[in-house]
Amino acid sequence: MTLEWIRFYMTAAFITIALSGFAFAVAGVWRFDYILNRMHAGGIGDTFSLFFLVTGLMISASAPIVIVKLLLPLLFMWFSSPTATHFLSQTEYYTNVHLFEHVKKKISGESNGH
Amino acid sequence: MKKIFKKIKELSSGEIMSNILDGSTEPDPSREQLKEIKKETIKSLEENPDFEAIVERQRKSFNLLYYSFAFIGSVCLIGVLLYLVSMLPRYGVENPRTVEVVKRYVENGLEETGAVNIVSGMILDYRAFDTLGESHVLFTALICVNILLRIDIKNMRSDYEDYYTIKRDVYYDMSHDGVLRLAAFVFSPCILTFGIYILLNGQISPGGGFSGGAVLGAGLILMSAGFGFDKVDKIFTLKINNIVTFSALTFYSFAKGYVFFTGANGIENHIPKGTPGAILSGGLILPLDIAVGIVVACTMFGFYSLFRRGSVASHING
Repeated sequence: MTLEWIRFYMTAAFITIALSGFAFAVAGVWRFDYILNRMHAGGIGDTFSLFFLVTGLMISASAPIVIVKLLLPLLFMWFSSPTATHFLSQTEYYTNVHLFEHVKKKISGESNGH
Repeated sequence: MKKIFKKIKELSSGEIMSNILDGSTEPDPSREQLKEIKKETIKSLEENPDFEAIVERQRKSFNLLYYSFAFIGSVCLIGVLLYLVSMLPRYGVENPRTVEVVKRYVENGLEETGAVNIVSGMILDYRAFDTLGESHVLFTALICVNILLRIDIKNMRSDYEDYYTIKRDVYYDMSHDGVLRLAAFVFSPCILTFGIYILLNGQISPGGGFSGGAVLGAGLILMSAGFGFDKVDKIFTLKINNIVTFSALTFYSFAKGYVFFTGANGIENHIPKGTPGAILSGGLILPLDIAVGIVVACTMFGFYSLFRRGSVASHING
């Protein structure tokens, strides 16, 4: 009985952390103006929060096969999300003519991420 | 093929290559001429004194016609729809016709089609013509994209434009990237295997032709993005794409036509149903699922490569 309660609280804690991570990700994607900043915020949701969510669900899982199945989305997302982000940032780097103006602004402190 | 290489070599030695490298966008000369012809015709029309009056009269008569037809059409449509609504059964009242069909599917579906997955039994057995039409819609879309976007030696618009497209395509080729190459190396076999699994399990579990074909097409797209078009072109070209799609659709039409013909005339069709739950069960459902899946996968990959570079085969890629 005590073990069950410990399990429940651990699951709840992990899923709460994951949900707060998703909340940060959503806020960042909405609030930032520049694509690289937005990508950073979205990446938090895709990697950090997903890890905690899947771990929480694994702790609450009853059968070993469920744990193995839960590993699959984690594996896929941890591969595919950085790949997609890599190409997005590469495209931004190669196609944005005003990229270095933005960087200069950042360094001189005129713009504060908005 | 040799012709194309020759042409590309000719082009790369001339002025056009330097233009591309400069990044300048030189306008097409034939288009300029077209524009001037257009301007001249407009000028000559404007010089005519009655021109504006004629245009105004035509516009007014057209507007009158347009509004009257629109009014009559919408009144007719409203009347027909209201009449049809009055014929519908009331909400909540049991409609004997729909209940009959649902009862038949649920109670006799397993026995008559041999498929545990009743949805598969419905879309590929009772309502197979519907699925055939859907596959043909995909095939028609692929043909239209092929007609509009395909780059070939016979339909090069002007040497400059298409040459520029091909050069840009080579420049932005993603397959040299290590990250994508690794991701494709790890995942494309998994995705293709999973797609085949979904395709073959259509009659005993959720899945089937459309979903399995979509997964297979996505795997092919990942392969061609990760390893370059040259690798995929060795096993899959436009010709093979067309032949495979055509034969899948023909097989579907003839197989289902045979079953419907024999069924309508009360003849035994001699197609074994198998034990429900086994992979080889459900009579024609498994082969038809494979045919639909092939059409969907070919359509998805064909769309990708036609939009990406205007051709499925690599012969244009100097």
